[in-house]
Amino acid sequence: MSDFHMVVCVKAVPGSTEVKMDPKTNTIVRDGKQAVINPFDASALECALALKDDFIGFGMDVRVTVVSMGIPATEALLRDCIARGADDALLLTDRAFAGADTLATTYALKCGIEALDEDFDLLICGKMAVDGDTAQIGPELAGAFEIPCVTDVSCVQSAGFTTCGSLALVHGCDAGEETVYLEMPCAMTTAKEIGQLRMPSIAGIRAAEEADVRVVNAADVHADPARCGLAGSPTQVVRSFVPDRDQTCEAVEGKPTEQAAKLAKIIEGMA
Amino acid sequence: MSATIKPFTDEFEEYGRDESRSSGEASSISFPTSEGEACAILRQLHAERVSVTVQGARTGLAAGAVPHGGHILNTSRMNRYLGLRRDDEGHFLLRVEPGVVLSELRKQLGKKMLPTAGWDQASLKAYEEFQEAPEQFFPTDPTEASACLGGMAACNASGARSYAYGPMRPHITGLHVALTDGDLVELQRGEVFARGRHLSLVTAEGRALEFDLPSYTMPETKNASGYFVADDMDAIDLYIGACGTLGVITELEIVLQAAPAVVWGVSCFFDSEDKAVSFTDSVRPVLSHAAAIEYFDAGALDILRRQREQSTAFSSLPALDKEAKVCVYVELDCDDEAQATEELYHLGWVLELAGGRDDATWVARTEVDRECQRFFRHAVPESVNMLIDERRRTDPTITKLGSDMSVPNARLADVIALYRRTLAESGLESAAWGHIGNNHLHVNILPRDAQDYRRGGELFAQWASEVTAMGGAVSAEHGVGKIKAGFLETMYGHEAMVESARLKLQLDPAGQLGRGNLFSEKLLDELVQKGGA
Amino acid sequence: MSGLVIDSEACIGCGRCVRACASGGIVVEGERPNRCARVTDGCILCGGCVDACPVSAISIERDEATDAVDLDAYQDIWVFVQTDEHDTVAPVAYELMGKGRELANARGCRLVALVGMGPESSLGELEHLVCAGADEVMVCRDERLRQNDAEVYARLICDLVAERKPEAILYGATAFGRELAPGVAVRLQTGLTADCTVLSMDTETGLLQQTRPAFGGNLMATIVCPNHRPQMATVRPGIFKAPDFDYGRSGTITQVALAEDAKARVEISIPAEEWGQQASIADAERLVVVGRGIGSKKNLPLMRKLAEALGAELGCTRPVVEAGWLEYRHQIGQTGVSVSPKLLVSIGVSGAIQHLAGIGGAECIIAINEDPDAPIFGAAQYKVVGDAVEVVEELLAQLER
Repeated sequence: MSDFHMVVCVKAVPGSTEVKMDPKTNTIVRDGKQAVINPFDASALECALALKDDFIGFGMDVRVTVVSMGIPATEALLRDCIARGADDALLLTDRAFAGADTLATTYALKCGIEALDEDFDLLICGKMAVDGDTAQIGPELAGAFEIPCVTDVSCVQSAGFTTCGSLALVHGCDAGEETVYLEMPCAMTTAKEIGQLRMPSIAGIRAAEEADVRVVNAADVHADPARCGLAGSPTQVVRSFVPDRDQTCEAVEGKPTEQAAKLAKIIEGMA
Repeated sequence: MSATIKPFTDEFEEYGRDESRSSGEASSISFPTSEGEACAILRQLHAERVSVTVQGARTGLAAGAVPHGGHILNTSRMNRYLGLRRDDEGHFLLRVEPGVVLSELRKQLGKKMLPTAGWDQASLKAYEEFQEAPEQFFPTDPTEASACLGGMAACNASGARSYAYGPMRPHITGLHVALTDGDLVELQRGEVFARGRHLSLVTAEGRALEFDLPSYTMPETKNASGYFVADDMDAIDLYIGACGTLGVITELEIVLQAAPAVVWGVSCFFDSEDKAVSFTDSVRPVLSHAAAIEYFDAGALDILRRQREQSTAFSSLPALDKEAKVCVYVELDCDDEAQATEELYHLGWVLELAGGRDDATWVARTEVDRECQRFFRHAVPESVNMLIDERRRTDPTITKLGSDMSVPNARLADVIALYRRTLAESGLESAAWGHIGNNHLHVNILPRDAQDYRRGGELFAQWASEVTAMGGAVSAEHGVGKIKAGFLETMYGHEAMVESARLKLQLDPAGQLGRGNLFSEKLLDELVQKGGA
Repeated sequence: MSGLVIDSEACIGCGRCVRACASGGIVVEGERPNRCARVTDGCILCGGCVDACPVSAISIERDEATDAVDLDAYQDIWVFVQTDEHDTVAPVAYELMGKGRELANARGCRLVALVGMGPESSLGELEHLVCAGADEVMVCRDERLRQNDAEVYARLICDLVAERKPEAILYGATAFGRELAPGVAVRLQTGLTADCTVLSMDTETGLLQQTRPAFGGNLMATIVCPNHRPQMATVRPGIFKAPDFDYGRSGTITQVALAEDAKARVEISIPAEEWGQQASIADAERLVVVGRGIGSKKNLPLMRKLAEALGAELGCTRPVVEAGWLEYRHQIGQTGVSVSPKLLVSIGVSGAIQHLAGIGGAECIIAINEDPDAPIFGAAQYKVVGDAVEVVEELLAQLER
């Protein structure tokens, strides 16, 4: 048992989010490039690792566990998280998880986190994933655990933690940025401003090679198949399509003076 | 002929300068868009004996592209891709005009797309093969990727990856050089060689050129100082690194090679310079896939730390550990991850033997991490430039003084000891970084006032002679240009300068091209008056 | 068992599905003419192959819901009306009222606005919600609702949903809306579609057709929530038009209570500044947006001058913020602000997908860029190929004339 246990949820996303239309078949071609850790989740991990450094400085015993739901190949990315400073990793992988929307993903992650050998004090997610852009997993997980959640955190101040047991978080809200205090256990989602994920060291890479990434399926974490994957997803995608970009782009030609004159006319015409 | 000789009016003011931050005067300027136009312009200027300074992207640090009166021939608009072929070994050879910018070339190669407008059938066929082949790359990487290929050839540019791939020279297989009278020399590597130190060439117009090469011996180290001369040398090598003094490069053929499948960057931090030097010495023979070995000294890292605190531009840099005094960066270019891992562990082993710590390292294995490391490495010179810019506000006469000297492997520790001893004696502020793998550091003096600036200059002159005594070169990669002409004389001696100037005058009898580059105008003019070559 | 189904009769073994798959979830096996796709353990049912199949041989099948809720018990469309700590209604709430009214009319149901405010707030502004289309305004006035605390609001909404069973709830995709709606969804165990740009009602089934961008705006997906209620969606500000007020409309205002034991667990220590400053580029009618293509920071004053001359605000791309030329609040795009001005002059912006995702709402885009192939031109109405600084200098001269 550690003094402070952080759980970071990460997702593997395609290295590029480019989507093209196959002109011959009129179907969508998503570039199946090599997967990377969702950049916002990378910031979430950095947030946890920076806090770990702070807390170790306070003389505490700190642990960071990375949890992901994904295909078996995601294990390599979790190993990379360990190389960068995470202590443990859990991969939830099962055909039963396939096709999960945010609710079913939340359920699977919750089952996985509950199956860890230690409760968490702080749950950190990236603010959103670059492929789905829903920004729902963090707040849904917090709701599932009935703990408070602060989204879009750009700065964490740990200085007062040892005296009052709470963290001061700067986060984006509708009126700008506010600072809030939060007691554990709680959840937060991180913005990229919190910091770029540190690089692994040679020592870290060695350790990660020997580390144990726990790979589990739905049954291992006692997940109800009816609440997992496609079956457990209330939402259904009925159609995907590449949006029409406005094709009627008019070229404004000529020398800069002539271009400027034409632009001035266009702008005046709109006033 | 659309390219014309225009008077050098205020609108062209920026063309009077380059990255060396020195400037000069000119009376006219032209922007030819093809070899034919460039030759026509030279022909016209030759008739009037107007001096000509050749320019590319003006990213040079030795003022080679800064005019000394006369005409500026700017090649930046000669930027077409001309064709592609494969050699017997299957390498792709790309023909380009000199104004093609390196960053553009890299982008095109990365996308496997080349602008093929106007290419012949044979080139288009090679292009099809190029698109099917593994991704290709051009290894020469001067820090400034906005450099153009013509300029890189003219100063035999290098960069970090020269540790594995050498300078620009071996990657050039063909050159077209326009002579001062508008005639052309077309050279293909492996076709024309000197006999001893005598060279015979035939121009496109059929004129035979016969001339003698200088007799000096080049140092056996990374070198971009003066003309490349050797017994029985390939004629093409004379024009690479000639700083625009023998002719104007109007076309190049470069060799592409398959891009390495796995590129990992490793930054190793040490608490002392001695450990970094000992690490470098012992890691060189151990690694077989190191593409670059670079160094950042304590002065450089300190400035970076300060700028990171002060400027938002650098705030996203990863934080440096307090213990980290100096940094050695090693780039591994490997065939697969297993090979890279093996190299990495070898490196880690040497690191610990040298007194380093394997947890005080950054290993970039992903694109995001590589980008972060690139940012870090580029932030060092940038932060130093920002510091100097601040100081210029109080004293506009000072600029950064940067050295570019290299020595043989065995003298690495000696040359660093020399720098440290003399810098400490002089009390000057400095920051050093660069290509420690090639025993080639850029030591930068950061003058606080005009007196510092002058003393820095004196120190460099002292280094030039001591480095020469160690068997080194006064310019390893920037070229000599105008700024280091004095050091070149220190390195080779006066007689070699006279021989070099004679060589130039055999090809450029009126001394029109690149005045002030490599040797003093005074020497050149004296020789011209004595009847030239 | 639900999952990916391949029609081996229809499959032509072309392999497009394999290329579309990012997770190695599908392979093509066998010799022609019997070459056929097969699902592997890597399949995550993302639907990429379904979209890529030229002969519609792949589909995702799901089992019929066994414990389907009684859908008919749910009625009415609700709009969550966000207020700030001074009980001012967020502009996006009116935009939602307009859309909600349209959907309620199509469905033949009532539109209900749900508002939480401080205890001593006046009910005056709530009349405006009626004018904007509400049949009923449910308001809870409680000290605990003064601050926007997602847990407290989630409790209020969940309790009301249990009691009144709405068919659909719309939220603004504001920072608070994006924090609140997922918390409600997970507690009610229902679906939530984020950042919708199109909403329509299937009048037969009452299914809300929710269309949203994914992959940074590269792909649009239409999503439904067939077996769970309420159907919930968030909508980005600036996507729908706020309706003109109809002062002749009538509606009821009902006061509701918040459960005794609901309490905020997040303590605000330094409050943010008022809305407004932050919203200036999001709500601007005219914008000048600059990218790294303007060359250097020293060209910024020129761009500011143009913005002034046009009466426009200044926005920028992410690299400009990263280079330290402008502050984050100017950043437009996926990780910045979404904007919907009438006129957007884009200068030296190449048009990365992430940036384009933020300017989709602009009515007219004039793009100035040196590179004739810059993707920004794909989103622009007017294309100016040229040096940014030169063109802007000339344009300024023209405008000042």
